[in-house]
Amino acid sequence: MKQHLQRQSGVANVDVSLIDGKVEVTPKEDGKVDPTQLLKATYDSGVSVAELDMTATGKLVKDSSGNLVLQVNASQSFVLAQNGLSKGLEPLADSATVLTVRGQLFKKGAGKQKKSEFSAALKLVLLEVQRKE
Amino acid sequence: MNGKHLGFLLLAGCLFVPQLQAQIKHIEMRVEGMT
Repeated sequence: MKQHLQRQSGVANVDVSLIDGKVEVTPKEDGKVDPTQLLKATYDSGVSVAELDMTATGKLVKDSSGNLVLQVNASQSFVLAQNGLSKGLEPLADSATVLTVRGQLFKKGAGKQKKSEFSAALKLVLLEVQRKE
Repeated sequence: MNGKHLGFLLLAGCLFVPQLQAQIKHIEMRVEGMT
């Protein structure tokens, strides 16, 4: 699985801990790694993903439907799931403030895992705001 | 360097620096069934 993940675009390093089932992925400096692609690659290597958390830096914008979105680069953004933290950040939408946040992008549902689970639009559940600039 | 060039550099800096800062820094997965 480690080799499979290391071959993915934008991945600099992968650390696997067999004891606690943790996989840490360090993106390359440009940060252009696709979490959905990592989920699919992990599934393809025969392992089930229970959770995927990520730390990202970006700006908050509102999309055409009024959803709060974390824009991490010109081609990559994540819709935020509504929770207490995201509501508190609404005034920062479309401002110049750059945020560093930690959030959960995927959590395994009940039953057998299917690859199609990763194709659905994943929402980022904010867990922590680490920095505001 | 004249004022025009300096102004252009400042503008370019304002446009590009936030883009460079924005990125995914770290990803952590919890997996099951790993041997």
